[in-house]
Formats: sequence, C-alpha cells, structure tokens
Amino acid sequence: METQRIVTPPVDAPQLEIHAPPAPVESQKKPKTRGRTIVVTSGKGGVGKTTTTANLGVALAARGARVVMIDADVGLRNLDLVLGLESRVRYHVLDVLEGRVSLADALVRDKRVPTLYLLAAAQDREKDDVATDAMVGLVEQLRDEFDYVLIDSPAGIEMGFKNAIAGADEAIVVCTPEVAAVRDVDRVVGLLGNRINAQLVVNRIRPALVRKGKMLSVEDVNAILRLPLLGVLGDAADVIVSTNRGEPVALDEASATGAAYRAIAARIAGEDVAAPQAAEPDGFMDKLGSFFGGRR
Amino acid sequence: MIRAKAGGLEIVFSGRPFADAYDDLRGRLAASPDFYRGASATVVLAEVPSADELHLIASTLDGAGIEWDGAYGLDNGAAPLPKREPPRDAVLSDSARSLVADFEGARKDLAGRRQRGERRSPPALVAVPPRTVSAPPAEPAPEVLYHRGTLRGGQSLANVGHIVVVGDVNPGAELVAGGDIVVFGALRGVAHAGAQGDRSARVYALVLEPTQLRIATTIAAGAERTGAPVPEEAFLAETGDRITIAPAGHPPHLKSTAEQS
Amino acid sequence: MKARRIVVTSGKGGVGKTTTTANLGAALAVRGKRVILVDADIGLRNLDLVLGVEKRIVFDLVEVVEGRCQVRQALVRDKRFGESLAILPAAQTRDKTAVTELQFADVVNNLAEMCDYVLIDSPAGIEHGFRNAIAGAAEAIVVTTPEVSAIRDADRVIGKLQERGLPMRLIVNRVRPEMVRNGEMMSVDDVCDILSAELLGIVPDDPEVIDTTNRGVPLVLDPAQRLGAIYTKIARRLEGEMIPFTQLGSGGFFGRLFEALRAG
Repeated sequence: METQRIVTPPVDAPQLEIHAPPAPVESQKKPKTRGRTIVVTSGKGGVGKTTTTANLGVALAARGARVVMIDADVGLRNLDLVLGLESRVRYHVLDVLEGRVSLADALVRDKRVPTLYLLAAAQDREKDDVATDAMVGLVEQLRDEFDYVLIDSPAGIEMGFKNAIAGADEAIVVCTPEVAAVRDVDRVVGLLGNRINAQLVVNRIRPALVRKGKMLSVEDVNAILRLPLLGVLGDAADVIVSTNRGEPVALDEASATGAAYRAIAARIAGEDVAAPQAAEPDGFMDKLGSFFGGRR
Repeated sequence: MIRAKAGGLEIVFSGRPFADAYDDLRGRLAASPDFYRGASATVVLAEVPSADELHLIASTLDGAGIEWDGAYGLDNGAAPLPKREPPRDAVLSDSARSLVADFEGARKDLAGRRQRGERRSPPALVAVPPRTVSAPPAEPAPEVLYHRGTLRGGQSLANVGHIVVVGDVNPGAELVAGGDIVVFGALRGVAHAGAQGDRSARVYALVLEPTQLRIATTIAAGAERTGAPVPEEAFLAETGDRITIAPAGHPPHLKSTAEQS
Repeated sequence: MKARRIVVTSGKGGVGKTTTTANLGAALAVRGKRVILVDADIGLRNLDLVLGVEKRIVFDLVEVVEGRCQVRQALVRDKRFGESLAILPAAQTRDKTAVTELQFADVVNNLAEMCDYVLIDSPAGIEHGFRNAIAGAAEAIVVTTPEVSAIRDADRVIGKLQERGLPMRLIVNRVRPEMVRNGEMMSVDDVCDILSAELLGIVPDDPEVIDTTNRGVPLVLDPAQRLGAIYTKIARRLEGEMIPFTQLGSGGFFGRLFEALRAG
C-alpha cells in the first residue's frame, strides 16, 4: 500500500541541493573533554520536547559548540521536520546501528549553523528495533566527537523512552502548566533515577491566565516536581509557525521565545544568566528535604 | 527540653516562642558541645516552621554533630495550635459519601461471593495486594520501613509493618502498610494503612492532602484543603465507617509486633 | 446489543486525545447513551484526572486483567451523569507491558456488554500501549492538530489502523482561524486532503480548556464553555446525524460541508 508522503513546502522553497557528505568526523578538531549527553524528555506528549531539542541545539551550536541531536522517536520522527532538514535526511540511526552506513554519512549538517548535526530517526521502523546497549554505544561514540549530544525522547515511558535515556547523564525535563503534564513528568523524573541529573523547563506559560487563576504557575508546577529550574517559556504563536516552516525560533533575533531558548542554552553552558522567571520552590518539604539530604 | 527517647533525642520547641526555645537549645549545646555528637534527634514543633526557623535549627544541630531525623507538631496545651479545631469527620463531599456507599456495595458483593464459595474474591479490600507485601522468608519484614526522599508518581512502597517517609509523597505514588503510615512531608498520593485489616491503624503527615486515604477496608476520597497546613492524623472513627482527620498531637506510637496482642 | 468500541488515538502526544475522549464521552452521556471510557495509558494515566474522578479510584485495568477484581468494581461512575458515564482507569504504578493485546481486547468486549459506547483513550506513540488500545476497538477516531509534526504522526497511525482494517474518522483540534487566514496555519481542508480522511469534527483552539481539564470539568457541563456545543455536535455526528461543520471563518468549508452530507 502506498504510504502518503507529506511534503510541506516552506514559504521560500530552496533550490534542490546536492547533499555533500560532511568531512570525515575524525579529521575535525576534537573537543578536549568528552561531550555532555542530555536527554530531553517529559512523559507527556506535545509539551515541546522536540521543539526544545531543536532550539537548544541551534542555540548551543550558535555559541560555537559542536552539537549533535539524535531523534530517538523511531517511527514517529519529527526532529528533522522541526529543523527544516527533512529533505536532506538520507540515512537514519538504524542504518548506522545495523552497519549499513557510517556515522559520518548519516549525520546531516545544518547549513545555517555549521557546528550543528542531526541524526534522524527511522520513519518506517519500530522502537523495539533499537537495542538499548547499541544506543548507549552510539551515544558514547558521539560524545567523543561533540561537545553536546542532545537526545530527543519520544513521549511515554515505553521502550523508546528507555532507549533515549539509556545513554544520557543529564536530562532536561519539559513540562507545561497542566495537572496532567505535571503528573506524567513526575513519573518520568522518578524513572530517571539517581543516575541522571534533571533540570526543568516550564513551557507554554501564559502569565495573564496564571494571574486570573486559570493556569498553574511555575511555582505550582515545581511544588510537585522539585527540580532545579532551567528556564520558563511562554506560549507564542511564532513557535507554531516556526516548527511548521522548519525554522527554529532560536535563529530569529526578533523572537522573544528564541531569546528565551538562547538564555537557556547559556545557562546549560554554565553562564550565570539572569534568574528564571519564577522563584525557587518554597514548599515546606523543600526546606525540610534539603536538611535531610533527601534527594529531589 | 532535650529529652532522651528510645529512638534518639527529642528536642521540644513547642510551648513557647521560637526564639526562647532556640536560645535555650543553643545554650545547652554550647554547655556540652560534644555530648550529643553522633546522636539523632526529632524536633517537636508547635506548627509548621518558617524557612528561617528551620535553617537555624538545622545549622545548630549540624554544628553539634546531631543528625536530624524528623519533626512533628505537638500541642502540649500551653501553646495551642493556631487553628485548633475539634476532631471532625473527614470532609467527605457528596461524591465521596457515595463513594463509601459504592464500596459498601463492593464489600457486600465480596461477602456474598465468599459465601457462595467463589475463589476469585479480590483480596485488595482486605489484604494488601500480593505483589509487594509478603517479605521473603529468609529475612523478616522490617517493623518499620523508612524511606528518605520524595516518592514520585508511579512509585510505591509496601510493608507488612509500618512505613515512615521522610520526604513528600507525590500524587500518583502509593503507600501500602499493614501498620501505620507516617509522612514527614506532604502526603498527596494514596495511603493505605492497616491494609491487612488493622482498624486501629493511623495515617499521619505534616501536610495531609492525599488523593485518597484507606484504613483497613474503609476508603475516603481526599478532601479540599482550606487554610495553612498543620500536621494532621487520620484514623477510623468509633463508628468505624468514617475516616476522621484531626490536627495531630504527635505521630502515632508505632506499635511493635511484640506489643500487639 | 453490543456497544460500539471506538479507540481515540493520534500518534503525536498532546494533541487532545484524552480531552477528546472525556468530552465526547460526556456529550454522548448527556444525550442518554451509556458510555464507558477506558484509559489505556498504563503508567501515565490522565483520563481520571481530566474527568475529575481521580480520588475515587479503587481498582484499575491491570487488577481486572489480573483477576483481582471484577470489572464492575473497577468502574468509577461519574455521578454528574447518573448511570450514563463510567471510566475504567489505567494503573499508575505499572507499565504497559502489564497487559497483552488479547487481555485488553477481552476486557473491552466484556465492557461492551454493559453499555452503548466504549471509548478507549490511547496513549501517544505507536508502541505496545497503542497496540493494546487498538486491539479492543472496532473503529477509530484520529485526533490531530493542523501542524506538520502532528499530521505526519497521524499519517503513520492511519496507516497502522488501515493495516488492521479499522474504519476511522478525523477530528482536527486546536484550529486557530486567524492563523489559517494569515497563511500561518494549515486549513482543515488541507489537513483532510493530506490525510485522505473523513472529517468528524473541528475544534477551535481555546486556552481556557486547560483550566477545565485541570479542574476535571467536562465542557458540556459548563455552560460558559462554547466548546461544549461543539462536542455535542461531534457526538451527534458519531450517532449518524448530518450536522454542518461550524464556519470558523476560514475559507473552503462549503465544499467540505457537501462532502460531509454525502458521506453521512
């Protein structure tokens, strides 16, 4: 049966380009220290994992870091779409893991930001096709070549999620200000366990609704999650447009959301950027918990 | 106001202004700086302390080498809790009331089926679900299962004896104990005390905001909260069919199996 | 007469499956149908939350499958709808491997003897949980938003549904007419064309919906919510009535309208 191909022409359709494979990765300058491996996850679908992975990738690379993004959503890949690179994807993670192509051939370099690379997911395969230790091995290999390995996790807590977190030391947990999202994210934080350091990004906050009492505040969200807050993002319409067009907002100097992503990237890189919008969680247990050394 | 108890020290702050109690504590510790080193202590407070108060207590105990094990509220009469209310029935909304009626129906259904000799009577209302409670024969189940840290949604703890959590219990998390449940933190998940039928079991928390409470075979949906939280305790009323919540004296004295008849 | 067994699915997470299942179920119940909602998202259950019954869960789907209770005991009735609306909650402390496709289908068939509609809330994705969810169903409702990634995922899911021979209809959720007008968002027509799917409903975007799901209030119960009327229309269409689609102010709907009338 013919599968439908979805082709969404961007507003300014680029000329079809010949895809020249990037120079062999080995010959490029290696970072002095091993790269950081960060999974972007949430449990709940649709909260902005893929958009966040794409924009943080762009923002980190724009600062000069070598960044590779892995789409771990086998069968439902979207990272390439959001980045606008879907027409340039030739090979995917399983092609590499199953030995059909080299890693260098599968990596798609983003022409807008030269140190940014994408390893796409397979669209016609299943998540069970990926073995967890193969995934870990791939991430280990990549961290030798890149400053940041960002892994875009699928929704849920099934095999796809487990594979996505297997290779990561750190996590960025994305949550929207909704009770259902907080519950799912809490579950995921529990599953991340002691090994992975997690930080929180709260997405799609609408301060006006929060003031009217019709939306949870960042404090409400973190009263349950109790994670270090990495950033807070609003709910601007330009994000939808940008994901539809494949132009990450982090590239757009005029976008407030883009600026927020760039600030988060700076924080990830260790800069002391102005404090996130919300104050620290100040529930009783948080004070008590820190005295008991209870882990968050 | 530093008392020695079976499990360690008890440092009582309630009954007078915090500043006085604190100075007193500092004085005592300064007088014998290493006497208490290595001990563990629970702190008795009149109400949920402020961040500064907690910080002072913590740093002082830390300086004296005392490990801080827990805290609970105590009203010794001299300084009443700010919002003292008589023990009240758990505020069962209409939906929760009919919930009790639903469960009544389920219990009758259960009893009927047992009478008819049906094997597949669900044990969940009477006994703890088999997946977690029976301890392996090689080690006896701990009398008290201690857990430090926050329990997240989807996580659960079960013990034939008592359970003490130092941390929060988030919505979606579950505690199932044959004995009592004590949470030094916010209880927002589901807690089932007396899961094997002990109707005298109690649930205590510094902040009692559970999704659902169960004691033996009685179940109550969590009630809406009003006002600032105070430590509270839940137990079965005399009539047996309601779960009652009262501002807590102190956490329940966890009966050891030796004491039970 | 056995119930219609309908799975609500999407592929992409966060497009509104659970909100749709809850509100469509409520709308059917208000119209006098007996409806049972099943949450197939084991480990990440949310249907109970969205309906506001999370405090009344005693047993769940996994305990039914494991024989630790009867299915009737696990059903949580929503008192606001009398006897017409109940939910079989998922387990929270387990994961999706706790139930096989066959077991899930058995439970759904069991439920189908007790009501007019079984609506199954599928988890996101196309993994084990999704396969369980569709195993119990005879029809499908695919929910999508007019965004490329959602459409791409919906396409994949539609393919899987077709493999199983499940007839499906489409709900396009979170449409923003002003963005469609500005060319910043695909129109519903475009979505249906790309997916070659028959339209069941169009739901406009409304940021206040989040508040109703936070509070556990189905939209049909809140007269201040205009979306309640839209779910009622969708319910009626599901029942076979020909109802024109709401003119949302973006072009091209009349063609769709005639098509819908023909399709029935």
